Amino acid sequence: MFEHILLGIQAVFSTEGGLSFLGISVPMTLMMIFFGFLLGIFVGATPGLAAPMAMAISLPILISVFGFSSEAFLPVLGFLIGIMKGGTVGGAVPAILFNTPGTPDAFMTTLDGYPMAQKGQAKRALKIAHISSVTGDTFSDIVLVVCAPFLAVLVERYLDLPEKTALLLLSLAFIAAVIGRSVGKGLISMGLGVLAAMVATGEDFYPRLSLGQPGLSDGIPIAAAVLGVLIVGEVFKGLEDISREGPSVRPSLALSGARAPGLWADLPRLLPYIGRSAVIGTAIGALPGIGSTLAATLGYTSGQRRHAARKSAEDPAFGEGAPEGIAATEAANSSVSGANLIPVLSLGIPGNAAAVFLILAMESIAGFNPGPTVFRVPQDGINPELVMAFGIFTAMFVANALNWTIGGAFMRVVGVMARIPKQHLLPVVLLLTLTAIYVQETSFAAIWITLGFGALGYAMRRIEMSPLPFVIAFILGGNLEQTARQAFSATGADPFFLFSSPTSIAFIALAVFVVARNSWKRP
Amino acid sequence: MRFLGHPDRVLGLLAAIFALLVIFVWAPLDSGSGLVETVRRRTSIGDAMGPVVAGVIISLGALLTIARPSHPASPVTLKNLAWIAVLFAVFAVSLALMRYTGPVLAVLLTEGEYRPLRNTVPWKYLGFMTGGAVLIAGTGLAAARRVSWTPIIIGLLAAIVIALLYDLPFEDVLLPPNGSV
Repeated sequence: MFEHILLGIQAVFSTEGGLSFLGISVPMTLMMIFFGFLLGIFVGATPGLAAPMAMAISLPILISVFGFSSEAFLPVLGFLIGIMKGGTVGGAVPAILFNTPGTPDAFMTTLDGYPMAQKGQAKRALKIAHISSVTGDTFSDIVLVVCAPFLAVLVERYLDLPEKTALLLLSLAFIAAVIGRSVGKGLISMGLGVLAAMVATGEDFYPRLSLGQPGLSDGIPIAAAVLGVLIVGEVFKGLEDISREGPSVRPSLALSGARAPGLWADLPRLLPYIGRSAVIGTAIGALPGIGSTLAATLGYTSGQRRHAARKSAEDPAFGEGAPEGIAATEAANSSVSGANLIPVLSLGIPGNAAAVFLILAMESIAGFNPGPTVFRVPQDGINPELVMAFGIFTAMFVANALNWTIGGAFMRVVGVMARIPKQHLLPVVLLLTLTAIYVQETSFAAIWITLGFGALGYAMRRIEMSPLPFVIAFILGGNLEQTARQAFSATGADPFFLFSSPTSIAFIALAVFVVARNSWKRP
Repeated sequence: MRFLGHPDRVLGLLAAIFALLVIFVWAPLDSGSGLVETVRRRTSIGDAMGPVVAGVIISLGALLTIARPSHPASPVTLKNLAWIAVLFAVFAVSLALMRYTGPVLAVLLTEGEYRPLRNTVPWKYLGFMTGGAVLIAGTGLAAARRVSWTPIIIGLLAAIVIALLYDLPFEDVLLPPNGSV
């Protein structure tokens, strides 16, 4: 195991293929993490953009530039991880300075961040957001490194093919049931995703569900479908909202004024809030389908309860400029980013939009199949997937180091991004996305398919059906079918293979329970 | 008819009809093998099983949506459809310009073909910049619902910047339409 860890770290710091800067060779992966991190802070600080959007646009370009070989793995993943990490701190900037959350999970940050900025404490609020965010993120990464291998080993040791099939069904049912306002719509979205994954992917010579159309006989291009539903659909809706409600008002910067106490004076009383929210965010992040917005809400609510019980009369309450409110929110939403890789690496199941693009990158590049086999330690020799997994962990800690050291300084610089009007930004994002698709597929048909899936994503948002179950089911559909086929054969064609062991029965019962309970609680 | 008064119930009904079509028509008729196949005494899951399972999931979702519609309702209106029609009209024009500007100008100005010119300046940028600028300006103007110079200028500048962003650092990257002509 130790050898794998060393090789993983070494792979990130290897100067092979890197660039020379002032006579010093800079490792390619480090450089990619750095640029990804900068991009992440910029997109996080820009209302209307978010880290998954930048990851989506970057991925086809990165694949075109670096190719599909295993050497491309760490530079490409490093860049995407950099974006993800940068995005976690960037979202707080416009929330504090302009009362406009850069990302949806930073909404709660506006409640106390903006009042603090109005009182002349913008710099203090930004520092609190930064330290809370990076602390939560680092905690989450440590939990990832500790938990993912153990979970993977447990899955490999105790779960056979029927149990793995049942676990995949449980994950999909969980995602469909907890995302969005309606369980029924979540299931429709998931069913459509599974159906899309089935097009032209069977074992028979005939490409099934292709309707005899040559255009469908190679299946649906995965990047076109995912970017269409997640990014282009959001652009269509965002532009229509502007056309209805009028252009966004350019926010004005909160005034600075009175001098505030330094961060070190704040830290002792903020730490309990940061710690509590980091645990909440990490637990939420480890569950597929529950995003950072819910983590932020729960972290804020938990902090609010504690603050109300302990605050002195002169301390501002939550919602009136309490530093504890920023700490609770930012620690919670940032600690989702590491933990959401636990199901990705140990089970091969993406839990949110950022994880979708990491899985897409992993599956596009040769030599890495996310899932429990990644953490298999061979009796002798090296498991290259395990080396890559430790390379990913190293990349995450490098991005964290960047966040601790230069993240705060960049946060103060990117405030200007919030002043870019959304009505000018979204069409540019659309052209960037379509160009990225063309660069990968080199076909106009792929652009039209992307726009078609964009219309589907738009319609889903209008009827309040979350597109995320569609995307995750589309990615996992092939895996689900393959595991079920193998389980069916391995059990001697037992039609009840899903009920062949107590574990698989428990998983299926849990899937039914999650759907039934959520439909009972809400529509 | 009061039953169908809620948009979620209409959605559920449409989803249920679609699911039934998938289960009983599309999957059986458009798959190379059935639900279960036995070849040389070896039984395995056939190609139709996956789509049928997808259809069953959709039908379950449809039943739940009909039984427990969400409040407040969020229907797709005619205005939404008109908006999508406007967007796709802009895409049709801009992608046509992207695809054909270079080839048409090559025929008009050089009396030759576009293909040998597609990797040379300025030809390789013509289609992308024209179509890209129209796409950005068109969608921006549609969102603003009034004519102004700002989206047009932004469209031109952004198309130039994006073209250079993709083309200058990466030798192997082909901008649209240069991989399709």
